[in-house]
Amino acid sequence: MYKNAPPFKAVRFFMTKLNYEQFEAMLIERHGESVHEKLKSVTVGIAGAGGLGSNVAFSLARIGIGKLVIADFDIVEPSNLNRQQYFVEQLGRKKVEALTENLLKINPYLKIESHCLKLDADNIPSIFKDCPIIAECFDKADQKQMIVETVLAKTKSIIVAVSGLGGYGKSNEIKTKKVSNRTILVGDDHRGLESGFSLMAPRVAIAAGHQANAIVELILEKQ
Amino acid sequence: MMPTLKINGEDKNFENVPSTLKNLLEILKVDEATVVAEVNGNIIPRNSFNNTALHDGFKIELIRFVGGG
Repeated sequence: MYKNAPPFKAVRFFMTKLNYEQFEAMLIERHGESVHEKLKSVTVGIAGAGGLGSNVAFSLARIGIGKLVIADFDIVEPSNLNRQQYFVEQLGRKKVEALTENLLKINPYLKIESHCLKLDADNIPSIFKDCPIIAECFDKADQKQMIVETVLAKTKSIIVAVSGLGGYGKSNEIKTKKVSNRTILVGDDHRGLESGFSLMAPRVAIAAGHQANAIVELILEKQ
Repeated sequence: MMPTLKINGEDKNFENVPSTLKNLLEILKVDEATVVAEVNGNIIPRNSFNNTALHDGFKIELIRFVGGG
């Protein structure tokens, strides 16, 4: 049917016409039906939509996760663009709105529940009540402490947190460690903002990749 | 034998075991605002570090966070 048409026309056709069944078929062809069904059945919490959160959400959207619950109170600022999955035209927009828009361009059939608010020890259990797995994607150390303590003390969810992703190079020093049955910790443990390390796309994306990969493993190897 | 705390899986000897979790973090020079602590399998909320007593043989897990995300 497209034999004589220029290739870009065919590409545009598929971009605009990939319906739900075709999208599902693509994922099943890639991952197999049983993997696809498991990924599709899970809701994952994304606590913070910055460098970690936007990258974790991108990965999970691409592989057909069922639903994401995303919470962040911030707007897209110029200083975010060196590592976060936003675009210049989105400056000034609420991060949860901009991220939702971007995720739906990747996977139009992803379910997203977004909350533009500041997470705290009181609202975390209710916001993420449907999430068996929560990704800690905050920036500040005391906020990381707060959500990990809250999730462990007040919910039954598994938390996948990050500590130490600053600077560049040293890719292989970023590790994924199972700290307990409900706690997974990603990072190099020490390259933080406090020690003068700046944040750059490559190393932030490596840590976010560890997080997303740990989440996939939890989903697919759940007994 | 010297009193011991098992911290993150490793035995650490003390002449006197720090009396509270808060004291232990001070000795380890760790900012308590950045630490999630588990003592003998129980999560200890940060505002209880000061009144969580420690004794010889206790198992302590400390997760310390640095900033960036």
